[in-house]
Amino acid sequence: MKVVVCVKQIPDPADPGELDPDSKTLRRDVKLILDESDSYGVEMALQLVDTAGEGEVHLVSMVPNNEVSGLRTALAMGAAGASLISDECLAGSDALGTAKVLAKAIAAQEPDLVLTATESSDGYTGTVPVQIAELLGLPSVTFAKEIEIDGSTAKVKRQTEAGYDDVECPLPAVVSVTAGVVEPRYPSFKGIMAAKNKPVEELTVEALGIDAGEVGWAGSRQDIVEITAAPVREAGEIIEDEGDAHERIVAFLDELKVL
Amino acid sequence: MYEWSEEHQLLRAAMKDFVTREIVPLKPELEHGDMPPYDVLRKLYRTFGMDEFARTEFRRSIEAEKSSADEATDTAVDDTDRPRPRPDAGYILIPIIELCRHCPGMVTAMGVSVGLTASAISSRGTIAQKQRWVEDLVTFDKIGAWAITEPGSGSDAFGSMLSTARRDGDEYLLNGSKTFITNGPYADTIVFICKLDEGNDRSERKVLSFVVESGMEGLEQSKSLRKMGMHSSPTGELFLSDVRVGADHLIGETEDPVGGGRSGAKSTFQQERAGVAAMALGIIEQCLELSVAYARERVQFGRRIGDFQLIQQKLAHMELARMNVQNLVFRTIEMAAAGESMTLAEASAMKLYSARTATDVALDAVQVHGGNGYMAEFQVEQLARDAKVLQIYAGTDEIQTVAIAKDLLD
Ligand SMILES: Cc1cc2nc3c(=O)[nH]c(=O)nc-3n(C[C@H](O)[C@H](O)[C@H](O)COP(=O)(O)OP(=O)(O)OC[C@H]3O[C@@H](n4cnc5c(N)ncnc54)[C@H](O)[C@@H]3O)c2cc1C
Ligand SMILES: Cc1cc2nc3c(=O)[nH]c(=O)nc-3n(C[C@H](O)[C@H](O)[C@H](O)COP(=O)(O)OP(=O)(O)OC[C@H]3O[C@@H](n4cnc5c(N)ncnc54)[C@H](O)[C@@H]3O)c2cc1C
Repeated sequence: MKVVVCVKQIPDPADPGELDPDSKTLRRDVKLILDESDSYGVEMALQLVDTAGEGEVHLVSMVPNNEVSGLRTALAMGAAGASLISDECLAGSDALGTAKVLAKAIAAQEPDLVLTATESSDGYTGTVPVQIAELLGLPSVTFAKEIEIDGSTAKVKRQTEAGYDDVECPLPAVVSVTAGVVEPRYPSFKGIMAAKNKPVEELTVEALGIDAGEVGWAGSRQDIVEITAAPVREAGEIIEDEGDAHERIVAFLDELKVL
Repeated sequence: MYEWSEEHQLLRAAMKDFVTREIVPLKPELEHGDMPPYDVLRKLYRTFGMDEFARTEFRRSIEAEKSSADEATDTAVDDTDRPRPRPDAGYILIPIIELCRHCPGMVTAMGVSVGLTASAISSRGTIAQKQRWVEDLVTFDKIGAWAITEPGSGSDAFGSMLSTARRDGDEYLLNGSKTFITNGPYADTIVFICKLDEGNDRSERKVLSFVVESGMEGLEQSKSLRKMGMHSSPTGELFLSDVRVGADHLIGETEDPVGGGRSGAKSTFQQERAGVAAMALGIIEQCLELSVAYARERVQFGRRIGDFQLIQQKLAHMELARMNVQNLVFRTIEMAAAGESMTLAEASAMKLYSARTATDVALDAVQVHGGNGYMAEFQVEQLARDAKVLQIYAGTDEIQTVAIAKDLLD
């Protein structure tokens, strides 16, 4: 079984760097790391291949400057190889442009299953997975908390607000994995040493047969109107218990309409 | 090497993550309670596959030793022809550095077991002895202790040593008291260093190393001693009265090892000293990070304390210390990769400098933190207590100084 996992390499959220007022995006010339959201997909894929007893996990990532440090983390966890798409003409790509590129690179791998996160930690649109599925003409299942492969069928427990739905779909399929549903493994000594020698195929837009005008700023149909730093979180309200704390907390939650 | 490699950085990030998630939450019990460090250390070993890795390397080295003992023929497979990824010394030092940012005691416990004790047996032992004891030590399945210090013999380890081995038929009877023994209270496998008593003068006696095992008749392992720092490393006393062992427990199974009985203990000292630089680096990095953050935040006289030159001077000195000690660690990695080892004097100089610097930096970090620095919550007080012992164990500052000067003058 071949599982392709889309992994986004992003600036370290602990030290994200600066916003670029011209392009209205985050500057990406800093060291990039594996998006934590994608580490769950990598772990899930490794477990599925283990359970199947055969096959491999292949990574696909689109990133500026042929950055590989985030990929190495996933390779050290156990993925067998990676496709890396980096091209100057990709700057400014919107979600659909990204999905077009990823879809081509995924198709070349002829996978049985494609995993993504439900949303990236930086762009956060949560739209790339379904766009990939549409472009590839594959079924799409979102918010998976468990995946079981039964022959040529994927049985997915799909997280909902109330619990989960049982969903089945034929393979190949694109499934997005909810953060936190598995415990991503630490890369072992052996894995870290092996990662250096694992194949990373570097691809350009041309090599994927995509017209440069379809991607990047040129092809982007999305316009980022404004970008501002997130407001500093305001201090919360401290409720001191004078016998009625529970009532006040319930009233507070009620007001937020979360109950 | 002037910077950590990409692989090193990957390992550091993973280690940092493990320490944050698995060790930091246990710190109240490890550092201020009586929780022994072994279960967490074993989890670390399993998580990173360090146990499996050590086992594979150990078995390979035993096979190599066996085939060279059998005078391998030309057709024998030469392992060196098949390149396999081997970890450089950074793989051993990075876990030390990252653990030392929070629990230097855990490194003491770990280093004594998988480092000192295992290498004391593997550097001089027979193949059978290594298979019997070393494999379980390097994988952390068993806990090791290495016992040379006695109540009356510390810096003068060999001269004042009172512990004895006496021949009794084919066997030996071991007697003596050891103190300040890391892992002593919990050790399964203990290297006991003593002198062969043949009725001759103590100064002429041969130094021998035996393996004794917990549960042997006549061996008593004390409870943990209360101490200033390194609380996540249990330290205790050992009492041996007529512990009976066969010659199979005498390391090397000979009373006349190549280079003499002291050389084994001496090469162990050398290895110990290299590890101290990495420990110091972890302590220094953490103290520096905490101090810089505090100097940015703490406001007095209407300004952040980082604006005062006297505080800036302390931070700048900490940074110098970090750069210097990191360079020493890089040198250790480079030398190991080149198959070179430091002279005893160089190892002493490195240990002396790193230990003293770590203590200075940690005390300065307490100072930068003011009253908070003296409080357990801010962590630097613990690192200051922990750092101090680096100047005492594995040879005191004074003993290192003497060794360096002796090398210059001889
Ligand atoms: C508000 C906003 C800000 C943006 N800021 C920047 C910026 O600062 N710098 C910049 O270069 N671009 C920026 N972009 C573009 C953005 O990176 C792309 O649109 C992105 O590749 C897809 O959007 P997303 O991250 O929201 O994907 P989502 O749909 O949230 O991603 C879901 C999953 O799809 C997969 N995936 C998504 N992108 C990739 C990828 N590139 N490689 C591999 N797998 C992937 C991952 O599994 C991911 O978890 C921004 C976009 C928006 C809307
Ligand atoms: C936490 C901890 C863990 C330890 N773990 C182990 C262990 O696992 N195994 C083990 O065998 N031992 C262990 N030790 C013992 C340690 O190695 C000794 O404490 C150390 O070697 C010093 O010996 P001492 O305590 O007897 O001090 P002493 O030798 O009595 O020294 C007292 C003072 O005199 C100075 N001095 C001594 N000789 C000279 C000289 N010639 N010139 C100038 N000054 C001199 C010393 O430097 C020191 O300042 C441990 C100690 C500690 C504190």
